[in-house]
Amino acid sequence: MDFKVNSKILEKLLSRVIPAVPVRTPMPILENFLFELKDGQLNVCATDLEVSLRSSINVAASEDLSIVVPARLIYEVIRSLEDTQINFSFESNSKLKLTTDKGTYFISYSPSEDFPEIPSVSMTKEILINGKDMKKAIDQTSFAMSKEDMRPAMTGTLLEFTPDGLKFVTTDGHRLVRFINKNIKTGSEEHYIVPERAIAVLTKLLGETDVKIYLGKSNILFNIADIEFISRLIGEKYPAYNSVIPLENENLLKVNRAELISTIKRMMLFSSSGSKQVKFSISKDSLTVSSEDIDLGSSGVENLTCEYKGDSMDIGFNTQYVNDILTHLDDDEVMFKLHSPTKACIIEPEDVLEGEEIMLLLMPVRLNS
Amino acid sequence: MRTIFHLDLDAFFVSVERILDPSLRGKPVIVGGDPKFGRGVVAACSYEARAYGLHSAMPIRTAYRLCPHGIYIHGSHGEYSRFSRAVKNILLQYAPLVQQASIDEFYMDFTGCRNVYGSLFTFASYLQREIWKKLSLPCSIGIGSNKTIAKIGSDCLKPNGITYILPGMEKEFLAPMPVESIPGVGKVTLKDLHSKGIYKIGDIAELPQDYFAAAYGKYGIDLYRKACGKGGEYLTFIHEQKSISHERTFADVTSKKFLKEKLFKLTGKVCQELRDKNWFTSSVNIKLRYSDFKTLTRSRKIKPTDDDKIIFDAAWNMLMKACTRRVAVRLIGIGLSKFSKFSEQEELFEWEEIKRRKMLRAVTIIRDKYGYESVVFGTAETDKKLQIMVNPFRVNS
Repeated sequence: MDFKVNSKILEKLLSRVIPAVPVRTPMPILENFLFELKDGQLNVCATDLEVSLRSSINVAASEDLSIVVPARLIYEVIRSLEDTQINFSFESNSKLKLTTDKGTYFISYSPSEDFPEIPSVSMTKEILINGKDMKKAIDQTSFAMSKEDMRPAMTGTLLEFTPDGLKFVTTDGHRLVRFINKNIKTGSEEHYIVPERAIAVLTKLLGETDVKIYLGKSNILFNIADIEFISRLIGEKYPAYNSVIPLENENLLKVNRAELISTIKRMMLFSSSGSKQVKFSISKDSLTVSSEDIDLGSSGVENLTCEYKGDSMDIGFNTQYVNDILTHLDDDEVMFKLHSPTKACIIEPEDVLEGEEIMLLLMPVRLNS
Repeated sequence: MRTIFHLDLDAFFVSVERILDPSLRGKPVIVGGDPKFGRGVVAACSYEARAYGLHSAMPIRTAYRLCPHGIYIHGSHGEYSRFSRAVKNILLQYAPLVQQASIDEFYMDFTGCRNVYGSLFTFASYLQREIWKKLSLPCSIGIGSNKTIAKIGSDCLKPNGITYILPGMEKEFLAPMPVESIPGVGKVTLKDLHSKGIYKIGDIAELPQDYFAAAYGKYGIDLYRKACGKGGEYLTFIHEQKSISHERTFADVTSKKFLKEKLFKLTGKVCQELRDKNWFTSSVNIKLRYSDFKTLTRSRKIKPTDDDKIIFDAAWNMLMKACTRRVAVRLIGIGLSKFSKFSEQEELFEWEEIKRRKMLRAVTIIRDKYGYESVVFGTAETDKKLQIMVNPFRVNS
């Protein structure tokens, strides 16, 4: 049994699926692609049990077949070939023979029985989201996902479908990001937690094309162009984040974002590696940012122009967190809404696009007085 | 060339006890617990007691056998610290730099002070008299070109001695001394050195350095340097604490319940110290000594924490796993190491462990203000005791 396929077309197909192949795994079978030939279609699947990717192309094959082939090997071979025709032929001795105008290559394949089944998601309810909108939401929120396994819910991104629109929420317990796209309304109220691994793969796949989302009980399916991306959902309770968003932060600090980033970058060099603490001393229309490393005996102070209305205060933050937040915003001016040196601070861009809303919450670091 | 003084307070604990109770003068006094109750080791003993062969770190029972008519005192540690501070204050009046090496040992850097104080030897005896006049504490002083030689010097003419090792004479001075005079040479090294035919410090200095490097590695090079009269020339002030530990010796114990209670108390102490320093620990060590002196230590890595419960659980678990012999236990200890700074980062969500962390901080503050015993953590045992305390009418069946 054999078929022919163009090397560049096949490379494109494999490159879409390979992100789901795990780098290290205790199950060697997962280091393979599942090749399925059915009704003149070549289906390629990869999974790491958490996320699965599937894509297909049309080929002229006479028979149906299902095998697994070493993913990295075949991908590297196809990628290294120039634009040429490859002849695939499946030999009876478990060898896949590739023939091009350059030469012949043999790759061992195995039967597909041991390859885990890709979970299926019911296609009854479809949500359509613009790929760029989705990418923007993920880009602005994903950095705040928790890296600690202690609370699995917080290691993912919360997708919350509400009458106000679709909310993307991430938090690690020290900071929280909520992005709302008000244009995506499904009429129903539900929420799902998408794991970090899926978010990482999604950012690679998302582009101009629309994304179709199908939600199952424990899995979510994204249909992007001709790629099917299925991810496990985190079946944990997301922390009640709404209750920690402060309502009475009346002290408003407006500051130029680029200027503050450049200041924070310098303060990161001076803050001690343990606490990474930076102090904001704020009084009427004056912001002094300072940090010091007691162990090394180094310190830095900078003054920034700002607009501030409210009580004077000294508040400490983790420089890394401030930097993360500021670099993930894109407006020129940012607003810090403060209450007191130990309460959560809200950071928002001054202007947002129509139909969007972003709010970042940052917990301060207690200053050692 | 530097001029380093090493001042060592002679039989410090005993001297302080004699100030507190002058009737102890001229008698064999041993500080470190009562041999009739429980156990322990000799923390310090007077020169009269040393005549019987006693020395510090000797089990108190052995000491009692050697010197049954000695006066055994438990010790008043608060007073020792007070006197130690007073000594330091006197030294600070004269020395440009003072490094306290332990409760009864001080290094001073008098480099270039000859023009101010004249003869260093005369000045040392003045310093000795000054401490005696003001505090009635005897001390010995060693003067040398580095810390090691000064320390060995202060040790060789005790009590009330002054030894000035002239610069350039270090090697000659050390050569006839036994190897165990070098600080850091313990029982094991001593035995090994003797087996090599090395008895005097001069024997070490005569051999090539490579020989010791090959035999003991880095420690060997250090040993050779010390034997040649070299050593640290600068006082160190920033002393990074690497561990916090507490241990307890008691009469042979077999009861697990008793051990658990003791370990719980020891854990409470080390955790309080840990939180006082605003640290987290990520390594818990335990020490277990059987009545036949066989000693085990175990260590375990944990997630950074300052929580008594987590640390106690880890320690108790290790202790139970280690304590497999059917021999009575003489000592248990707990130690914490691998510290990181307590994070002052505020949390968004009130998780259970965050509440606990806040509670522990509150406990730490209360204890700092009103004493360690003002707040105690409950175990099944303390519960019973408290119930009795709270309800005096309860009939104890």
